[in-house]
Amino acid sequence: MATFERGNVKIEVDEDGFMAEPEKWNEEVALALASTENVMDMTEAHWKVANYLRNYYQQFGIAPMIRKLCKETGFSLKEIYDLYPSGPAKGACKVAGLPKPTGCV
Amino acid sequence: MSPTTRKEPRRIKDMSLPSEQVAHVEPQDLVPLPPPYDKLEEQPRFKPLSDDSRAKLEASLDDTLCIGCPKPASKEEEERLIQAFISGLHKLFTKENNWTFLQPLTLSMEHCARCQTCVDDCPVYEESGKNEVYRPTYRSEILRRLYFKYVKPGLPGFQTFQNGGIELNWTLISRLLELSYRCTLCRRCAQSCPIGVDNGLITHEIRKLFSSEMGLTAKDLHEKGTVQQLAVGSSTGMIPVVVKDNIEFIDEDMTDRTGIKVETKWDVEGAEVLLLHNAGEILAWPDNPGCFALLLDAAGISWTMSSDLVGYDGVNYGLFYDDVQLARIAYRHFEIAKKLKVKKIVMGECGHESKALGVIADRVFQGIPRETAMTLMADIVFSGRIKFDPSRNDFPVTLHDPCNLARAMGVIEPQRKVLRYLAPRFREMHPHGVRNYCCGGGSGFAIMSQFNFQDWRLQINGRRKFRQILEAFQDTDLTSNDPKYVCAPCSNCKGQIRDLFDYYGAKEKSGLHYGGLVELVVNAMVDLKEPFINWEIM
Repeated sequence: MATFERGNVKIEVDEDGFMAEPEKWNEEVALALASTENVMDMTEAHWKVANYLRNYYQQFGIAPMIRKLCKETGFSLKEIYDLYPSGPAKGACKVAGLPKPTGCV
Repeated sequence: MSPTTRKEPRRIKDMSLPSEQVAHVEPQDLVPLPPPYDKLEEQPRFKPLSDDSRAKLEASLDDTLCIGCPKPASKEEEERLIQAFISGLHKLFTKENNWTFLQPLTLSMEHCARCQTCVDDCPVYEESGKNEVYRPTYRSEILRRLYFKYVKPGLPGFQTFQNGGIELNWTLISRLLELSYRCTLCRRCAQSCPIGVDNGLITHEIRKLFSSEMGLTAKDLHEKGTVQQLAVGSSTGMIPVVVKDNIEFIDEDMTDRTGIKVETKWDVEGAEVLLLHNAGEILAWPDNPGCFALLLDAAGISWTMSSDLVGYDGVNYGLFYDDVQLARIAYRHFEIAKKLKVKKIVMGECGHESKALGVIADRVFQGIPRETAMTLMADIVFSGRIKFDPSRNDFPVTLHDPCNLARAMGVIEPQRKVLRYLAPRFREMHPHGVRNYCCGGGSGFAIMSQFNFQDWRLQINGRRKFRQILEAFQDTDLTSNDPKYVCAPCSNCKGQIRDLFDYYGAKEKSGLHYGGLVELVVNAMVDLKEPFINWEIM
């Protein structure tokens, strides 16, 4: 566990840089985490992905299937990678304030 | 660390001497990759550990951290940890405490002739540029000297002379902990040993000591792995309602894309087959469970999945580090199969699941046969019940042998038989079968990326496999993104291969794709209006 600080944001993160307390997520946190993921500008498309992940997580307690994410947001897997270079699990989930996906995913 | 000293032989006694770092690898030490991946400056950078990690955690082994054990807060705590280690060491060599592996462990301790035949068969050692500490016999020699010092001491005075001395202190223990998570347990070394010494098992036993006696293990395997699986039903965190919802989504997607009605069966009593997937497939590679559902129906097999906790996740990470956790999960799998009165369990495309259920926990599964998906698929494909058009798989295909399926279980031929028939451009990697190379994600590494461990597993651990894949496609144009398919019938291997391809940009650069075996089988089915594999969504 470590403390991650950027601007006004100060949060606890795990060894992979994912939020330790996902309930403390907000847009400012997302912007700060995005900067660690080579996402320099959170466009409308970035938010669409992050908000979908966030809503799904709040409902089910885990990250959605990648295929569901693509279908529901209308982005192809390639487009998700273009938005979040580390991919849907490691990049997009991190920015959306989800804990690191677990298991063989 | 000066570049001239980094490959010097590391004496065992160096491991007990405090120093900043025992081993270090520079990018130019690594075995070069073939073109178009041969330019060092274009390769991803190995991120250094943060100063914060180095200050707080035991990081004096090498350039990375897997466990990241906190430094003891006091001398007393350090002493307590050392005593716990010694206690665990004794337990490893008693029948009551090590009912699983005592005999092969003791034989491996006492009979290694130090011939070093196994050394050149270790991909981690080779790819690191032959860095001493990654040598399979180096790690084992530490445990062996401790064994002869504490568990089976010889005559006083002759001890060091006979078996080599070793100083047991916290520095040594903390380095040994990390070192037990630099080997993927692929057991290629055991395969090559002329007398059957199993250095992979020794690594496993070291991990077990740390887990059972000291609570030191990888979070992804224990807390987020076996503990979560037993508590909520799956290492992925999926509870039954979520897994059912996801499978429903997969069924609909498959039906849309293939024009064939796909419907997964749940909790069917008396079914011929209980299909037990690695639950990661459902979340990350949904075509795989979708294709199994379609194929089993097409073959007229009565089958079911289970929505009981643990019944929809075949993983058993206990295999990698802790026999007690292994047994707990295996017993749940057994209870569920018994309750459903199924004729047999079929393990989906997952290597370690197959080994755990099929071999290691054999005695748990009294009266319930288990079969790997490989043999079942070969039987279906050659049963004559389904018509195939192999020309639908008209792209280059190579096969990765998961270590647990191939080397540990000897399941080699069924998957090849299928590919030789259904993939006209199938080519082998070399070597393959029982002599295969690990993907580099073995023993659970594929799901680990803490600190900078991902750099380590993709640059060193997975390097041999990446080279092998590139070599298998040498007759194709590796600078064009025409699709090429690496068939890897194992969830863990697929995760590692995905990460390798992402890391080196191999999908864009060379058109390298990966997937399982069942997708190729279904893709060739004549009943499908058109081929099902869609490169865009892979």
